[in-house]
Amino acid sequence: MLPLAEVQSHVRDALVAGDTARVMPLLVGGRAPHKRLAVHQRHYQASLVSALLTRFPATAWLMGDETIGAAAHAYVRAHPPAAPCIAEFGATFPDFIAAAPGAAQVPYLRDFAVLEWHLGHAAVAVEYAAMALQSLAGYPQDALADLVLRLQPGMYYFAVGWPVDDLIRLHLEDRAPERYGMEPAEIWLEIRGARGAFQMTRRDAGSYLFRRALQAGQPIGAAAEAAIDADAAFDPGRALAAVMREGLVTAVETNAAGVER
Amino acid sequence: MQHTSRRDAPLASGVGLRLPHLAEVAATRPAAAWFEVHPENFLANPHAAELLGEIARHYPISVHTVGVSIGSAGGIDRAHLARVARLIDAVDPILVSGHLAWSTHAGEYLNDLLPLPYDANTLAVLARHVDEVQQALGRTYLVENPSSYLGFAGSTMTEFAFLSTLVERTGCQLLCDVSNVYLSGHNMGFDPYAYIAGLPAEAIGELHLGGFTAEDDPDEHGGTLLVDTHADRIADPAWDLYGYALHRFGAKPTLIEWDNEIPPFATLLAEAAHADAVSAQALKLVPEKSVPAFRSAHATTDRQVRHAAAG
Repeated sequence: MLPLAEVQSHVRDALVAGDTARVMPLLVGGRAPHKRLAVHQRHYQASLVSALLTRFPATAWLMGDETIGAAAHAYVRAHPPAAPCIAEFGATFPDFIAAAPGAAQVPYLRDFAVLEWHLGHAAVAVEYAAMALQSLAGYPQDALADLVLRLQPGMYYFAVGWPVDDLIRLHLEDRAPERYGMEPAEIWLEIRGARGAFQMTRRDAGSYLFRRALQAGQPIGAAAEAAIDADAAFDPGRALAAVMREGLVTAVETNAAGVER
Repeated sequence: MQHTSRRDAPLASGVGLRLPHLAEVAATRPAAAWFEVHPENFLANPHAAELLGEIARHYPISVHTVGVSIGSAGGIDRAHLARVARLIDAVDPILVSGHLAWSTHAGEYLNDLLPLPYDANTLAVLARHVDEVQQALGRTYLVENPSSYLGFAGSTMTEFAFLSTLVERTGCQLLCDVSNVYLSGHNMGFDPYAYIAGLPAEAIGELHLGGFTAEDDPDEHGGTLLVDTHADRIADPAWDLYGYALHRFGAKPTLIEWDNEIPPFATLLAEAAHADAVSAQALKLVPEKSVPAFRSAHATTDRQVRHAAAG
């Protein structure tokens, strides 16, 4: 008997790449073991293709069932999952379909699929009790810039070159027209979701950069500087008040010196 | 290895709790004895995990891992195991189980429960990994017999002998999937009653029952291959074998599994109630019943298997 690792490598090649030559001599089962192996090959393909199509139903609508089905089959052969949580499988599928032949006809395909991926994650998030603006009053004025805030977990920030939010909204509301023209446009999107629901909000560049930096764990001061670099008229005080008022902040994690409050 | 749950496993039958029923169960609290969940469905779904936490306050929960892959030659995915351990800490399950199978190779997860050769080398790998899992989780791990379509020409021991030795080496327990025994017996040409008879009764901690699908295949025994789809009611021959398993093992927590084409929740409860009725009958009749008596409860011709699996 071959070492177990070698046996498993051969089974893997049969499932993922369809290469059965090295594993078939090892197998027994019925009169036609290759048909038994096909049960596993079929399951690998069908279960993962189904998982992808479940994650990207709007993208399937945009591409057509046949096109996305072929892309999904190719993707599961080229990019097997890296971990057992299948809900996490497919993060690179938008890049994959955008590189596929014919995708150039839909230049916003990648942005559309990435948006759908983020919406799916936002919808299964939870929200925690928000901090009140007054709770920041306990910090000295000159320490505020160093505070690191923790935002609600279902927040996603996504800058796109096409107004794909309009198109996906039309699809989700079942109002998509037969033909739809789209022009390139810089869009800064904030996605917020929890417990089965989500919302998409367009932000101006300054607010987007400020909020995205806060979500990435940057201190308030650094987030404000990033926003001011893009928009000299950006008002950090008003932006911070808005973030608090909207219930986005759940905690002050640490200040920049790493000292917990 | 002691399991550290605050609760004991009920002997009444439970049902597999899948995502489509989660909100309904949390809201209506149906009369189910207990639930079994796949942790992999919750680790990347905080909303579902939140609902599970709520449900776990009212029902015993069993955690049935599908991605731990104790049969992988390359070792256990420790990052995944750590995520499972955190969920287990949160829901304090009555049982924790997984499969005699592998699904991960060289950093790839193949999303299937794949067969193993049964020999001394594989046994050493499995024993090492079961030890690691039990240490990491702080609980006894129950290992489930697979549904089989294939074996390896190089295997040197039967599956039930392999499992029995694994129990001896690691102190793990066994989850006997009665439907898998029936299906594998049909597909691989062994007697499922002899398989049940060969398992160590004292190590059985849980039983599973699930529906399978018969595929026509003229090359196969009786013209059918049974596929473990968990997409249908439990077939009559599996109920018969369940009666015999109870005769052999005594009353055990039994789970109804239904993972595809998931029916209304009431259908799952009805299957669980049927399992309880079969159990009551089988345990009442145990002293007088012999293997042929259980076997004859339904004639298990291939024609009838196909009929039963088709619903």
